[in-house]
Amino acid sequence: MSSLNASLAAALSGLIAEQGALEATTNNVANVNTPGYSREVPVLVTSDPVVQDPLTFGTGVKLQSLESIRDPILESQIQQETQAQGQLNALVSALSQTQTNFTSSTSDIGTAISNFFDSVNQLSTSPADLSLRQGVLTAAGNVANAFNVAANNLNNQRSNLNASVTQTVGQINQLTSQIAKLNGQISNLENVGESAGTFIDQRTQLIDQLSSLVDVSVIPTDNTLTLTTASGTALVAGQLSFQLSTQPDASGMQHVFTQGSDITSSIASGQLGGLLDARDQQIPGILSQLDTLAAGLASAVNGVQTDGTDLNGNQGTNLFNPPPASSAGAAASLSVAITDPALIAASSDGTPGSNGNAEAMYALRNQALISGQSPSDYYSSIVFNVGNAASNANAEQSASNLALQQLDDQRASVSGVSLDEEAANMVRFQQAYSASAQVITTINSMMQTIINMKTS
Amino acid sequence: MRVNPNPISDLISAAGQTQQQINTDLAQIASGERINVPSDDPAGAAMLVRNASQTAEADQFLRSASGIAGEMQNADSALNSVVTILQRAISLGVEGANGTVNASDRAALATEVQGIQSQLVSLANLSYQGNFVFAGTATQTAPYVLDPNSSSGVKYVGNTGVNSVTVGDHLTIKTNMPGSQLFSSAGADVFQAVQDLITNLQSGTNIDTAVNEVSDAYDHINAQRVFYGNSINQLNSQQTFLNSETTQLASQQNSIGGADLSKVISNLETAQTARQATLEAIAQTQQTNLFNYIK
Repeated sequence: MSSLNASLAAALSGLIAEQGALEATTNNVANVNTPGYSREVPVLVTSDPVVQDPLTFGTGVKLQSLESIRDPILESQIQQETQAQGQLNALVSALSQTQTNFTSSTSDIGTAISNFFDSVNQLSTSPADLSLRQGVLTAAGNVANAFNVAANNLNNQRSNLNASVTQTVGQINQLTSQIAKLNGQISNLENVGESAGTFIDQRTQLIDQLSSLVDVSVIPTDNTLTLTTASGTALVAGQLSFQLSTQPDASGMQHVFTQGSDITSSIASGQLGGLLDARDQQIPGILSQLDTLAAGLASAVNGVQTDGTDLNGNQGTNLFNPPPASSAGAAASLSVAITDPALIAASSDGTPGSNGNAEAMYALRNQALISGQSPSDYYSSIVFNVGNAASNANAEQSASNLALQQLDDQRASVSGVSLDEEAANMVRFQQAYSASAQVITTINSMMQTIINMKTS
Repeated sequence: MRVNPNPISDLISAAGQTQQQINTDLAQIASGERINVPSDDPAGAAMLVRNASQTAEADQFLRSASGIAGEMQNADSALNSVVTILQRAISLGVEGANGTVNASDRAALATEVQGIQSQLVSLANLSYQGNFVFAGTATQTAPYVLDPNSSSGVKYVGNTGVNSVTVGDHLTIKTNMPGSQLFSSAGADVFQAVQDLITNLQSGTNIDTAVNEVSDAYDHINAQRVFYGNSINQLNSQQTFLNSETTQLASQQNSIGGADLSKVISNLETAQTARQATLEAIAQTQQTNLFNYIK
């Protein structure tokens, strides 16, 4: 059944569809700079035709949906790389702060140890000289102080990282509850067959943000999705979010809990992973090397000191307060045990003018006291380890930035709004709209002809 | 193929990277150092730590060597005086042994030798910066005290201790010789010889024997003081070596950690050019799009 009315309806469907399509363009242009926005394209389909034997008549067009263009695989790659980047950002920032304790200065540990042995060698040239003895005491104090300062800085840094852990967990909780809420909105819309593109964009943005904080696996389910940490701990399931919580351990370090279980050690990436790595692995590793050095040096010096005789003719006593047996905390607590320069046991034969024991103490400088290395060599290997960790993290961060940039490029090439494209589309939709309107005018004139035919 | 329609973020991050390169270059130029934090070159930073320790050690060896050399020169010049006055004692003794001198002349000679004797005690009690140089390691008390009960007129209260000081890798140097070794030996004791000369001049008997005694003592001291001369020479050559070692360490330090300024400046120029080009590209980007042409 072909009729002018049917043609009019078909032309009208064109008007409506093109107008709707233009709305996609309008929205795209408006969101050209919106982060995470995926461009929409109108999906136009022909309306069901009418069959009138032997002819089939089209009934026009309909705008089926405005589809957001996105590549889920790319998005999941971006989320993964964002996790790596979040972890590396936290690590790089922590390690670059850490390594400032190991730059060479007039008061760094290496210089302090050097100066101490220098002062002992100087004392050796005139072992009864009180000012040279005072020089040794002062240099020993500087050694203790250099260790104390470095260890305290590292411990403070750990406390700051610890506070950041709590903050990050708070941010994660906020994001997961927002994502759960969006999950609800998205499935409500999709359940009634409506497009939830904008909400999905928002959710993708939030998942990206979440990825920069913690390792996330995205498991899509019907109309919704489930988020877990890489170790399988649920963060979001549909409209439910599972809050993480923190509890301090005996040393005050916050552990991350979810639903009663401690998942701290399984968090490997994202900012939280980086913070935990720096707080629990990197910095304690450096601290323990400092402890080993401080304890090894102090024990060796004490050992020599107690073998000798002081200026008063008495057997020497410890120069440094003895480090803890396990050496844990030795760097932070290293301190000089004596204040009287006469108590330095420089003499090996009991007379004040003997320097035999000062020489024995000096010989420690190049002895393999600590893990087969001299104190200075051991310190240099700490500097290497710290520098190497920071330099590796820097390199990985650069690589991750590049990878992420490339992935973002790819996402933009799929989902980004191109103004050229939108302008061309606008022209296309506008012309189609004008053409449909022209068709309506023509049909109108044809109808007029028929009406005029009857009245004439 | 669809391309990224909005490449500006790439450009901005490129501009950030060139800025970072510029900052690194500027830091190197400002400090003159290639390694400002350990991560700039971990192995190099570790080498610099060892280099700094070696440099400090060499500097300290230089200070110690120069201090010891000062003390030893002092001792050596005291021994030089000892030798000179012993020569004088010998000629006085030879003069006294001549049969033509009378008793009062011999008494005058004996008085002059007594003066030499007290100079000897004073020289043997030489102190340098608060330490008695010829006292062994008992440096806090004068080693020779006058003792009327002793046949030589003095008593040695020092000890036989010898100090050694490290002034180089595996190089220690003895810094003193105890007075007991320097001024006495089995057959020749300086103080005994001089005391005998005085006694014999006064009595007019066996003056020749006493002169021979002093002469033996003179020979002994001359032989022993070679120790100081040798040590001073050794210290001098060690100082020369240490000076060249510190120069070498400084040049090593510079080659490990010093910035190659001509290279850094050329890097800086490259980075600045790249940054300028990137910024221009940002300014140019998307000044036009199709909308500009649809009228």
